[in-house]
Amino acid sequence: MTSQPIPPSSLPSFSKASEPMIKVEGLRKSFNGREVLKGISFEVFPGEMLAIIGPSGCGKSTLLKLITGLLEPDAGKITLNSEQIGLVFQGSALLNSLTVRENLALALRERKLPKREQDKAIMEDLTLVGLADYIDSFPTQLSGGQQKRTSFARAIVNDPQIILYDEPTTGLDPVMSTVIEDYMIELEKQLHAAGIVVTHQFSTWTRTAHRAILLNQGVVVWEGKPHEALNSTNPYIIQFAKATREGPMLAGKV
Amino acid sequence: MDRPNGITVANPLTLLDKYLGIVLQLVGQATIMFLQTMRYIFRGELSLSEAFRQANMIGLGSLYVVGVTGLFTGFAMSLQISKELAAFGADTAVGGVVALALIREIGPITAGVMVAGRVGSAMAAELSSMVVSEQIDALKIMRVDPVQFLVVPRFLAALVMMPALSIYSMFLGLGGAIFIAQAKANIPPETFLDSVKQTVVGTDFITHIIKSLVFATIIIFFSCSIGLSARGGAEDVGHATTRAVVWTMTIIFIVNYIITALSPLHAS
Ligand SMILES: Nc1ncnc2c1ncn2[C@@H]1O[C@H](COP(=O)(O)OP(=O)(O)O)[C@@H](O)[C@H]1O
Ligand SMILES: [Mg+2]
Repeated sequence: MTSQPIPPSSLPSFSKASEPMIKVEGLRKSFNGREVLKGISFEVFPGEMLAIIGPSGCGKSTLLKLITGLLEPDAGKITLNSEQIGLVFQGSALLNSLTVRENLALALRERKLPKREQDKAIMEDLTLVGLADYIDSFPTQLSGGQQKRTSFARAIVNDPQIILYDEPTTGLDPVMSTVIEDYMIELEKQLHAAGIVVTHQFSTWTRTAHRAILLNQGVVVWEGKPHEALNSTNPYIIQFAKATREGPMLAGKV
Repeated sequence: MDRPNGITVANPLTLLDKYLGIVLQLVGQATIMFLQTMRYIFRGELSLSEAFRQANMIGLGSLYVVGVTGLFTGFAMSLQISKELAAFGADTAVGGVVALALIREIGPITAGVMVAGRVGSAMAAELSSMVVSEQIDALKIMRVDPVQFLVVPRFLAALVMMPALSIYSMFLGLGGAIFIAQAKANIPPETFLDSVKQTVVGTDFITHIIKSLVFATIIIFFSCSIGLSARGGAEDVGHATTRAVVWTMTIIFIVNYIITALSPLHAS
């Protein structure tokens, strides 16, 4: 699967002329004395999608939690140019006690829209992910793919300027992965937000991102365009993209 | 020394130190959550429909266990006391003694312990699994305070349902006591009830209500703060549930004694 040719990128273009929407400088974070992130820096521009790739447990989710303010960094600086952030959680994270409509309404709560407009926004949003018929269902009545799409809808209902995806395709079947990747590309066209996708799934970072950075042992070990990955001479990205045992990344550690 | 089963053999003083730290941390967390909840209630920032839904769950979920335990507690107490007092020819005192014990002590504490086991554990399990499944993080991202969204309605519901369940349990216990007194010690219901009327005063009911309100507060804030401070994987849900039950029950027994000691009859 990993030796498949990378599909030609059909992503919308973006410009680096403006200020970066997300700027991360020298980010460090330890848990119980173990340093998970050892000084990470990068920028993401409006309309750009950055993939953060790396083995399980290398701190990808931690990085997203730092950016969204769910965790405090030990050192370093995060500058966001917008307060409108959408986060698609790894496990959907829909509130099980609320219907799909109520989940989305909760995200819209701060806008204090009149009921009619709120319902309209929710309906448009659900139509976009093909779930209009499920507006009054509870999350537990939906399939895994439908839950994922609902959590997409929730993340974008506020038209965020920054959108973050935590392993959006991990655990989905290949067809559903493609569907989700297509939604991500569609959203890049519609929202023109700055995006980060955290993933270790080859098709996801090669199809949806303009640029990728590879984390290993808390540091960035490779940065580049996805289609350059397989031709790179960097041993880390070669090992990661080809999923081989031979290379500088230690499988035993994860 | 760490054993494979996780039981640690340690110096008793170190253990005391460790437990004191855990107790202070737990009580601190629960107190902060209580204060935050009170602030939302005084500002009127609450969802009554969610409180109603929770009240329904607490009430229906506990009706059966609280009823059965109340009834059998009444049976056992009446059997013991009516036999003892009848032997001294003090049949006319049975109703009063049984009723006082049920109203002031046994009633509130059995109901409290059953609700802690039934409702407290369920809340700790629900909230900790919401942490594990990142639902709590999702709330925070949407700038919804989990205390306002989850704890406030549960607390309001418990404040209404706990006294109701406790009184219901107490009346079933009294009914059971009257039945056993007649069946096993030939004490007629009229004699039993006369004795109840002569002995029980209004403050006994007030003590009952106060205890049930305090127990409701303990159950909600300890279970919810233990649930919300869960970390990591699915096994933490099990830990949180066990911890919530053990801690709320222990604290209920301690606080029960304190309220009894402070109540007008004993305080002098
Ligand atoms: N809240 C936390 N407390 C302690 N350790 C944590 C916490 N969150 C993450 N970790 C640890 O940090 C490391 C990175 O975790 P994570 O960011 O979830 O990795 P990834 O998303 O790349 O799989 C893991 O070893 C994990 O156990
Ligand atoms: Mg992760």
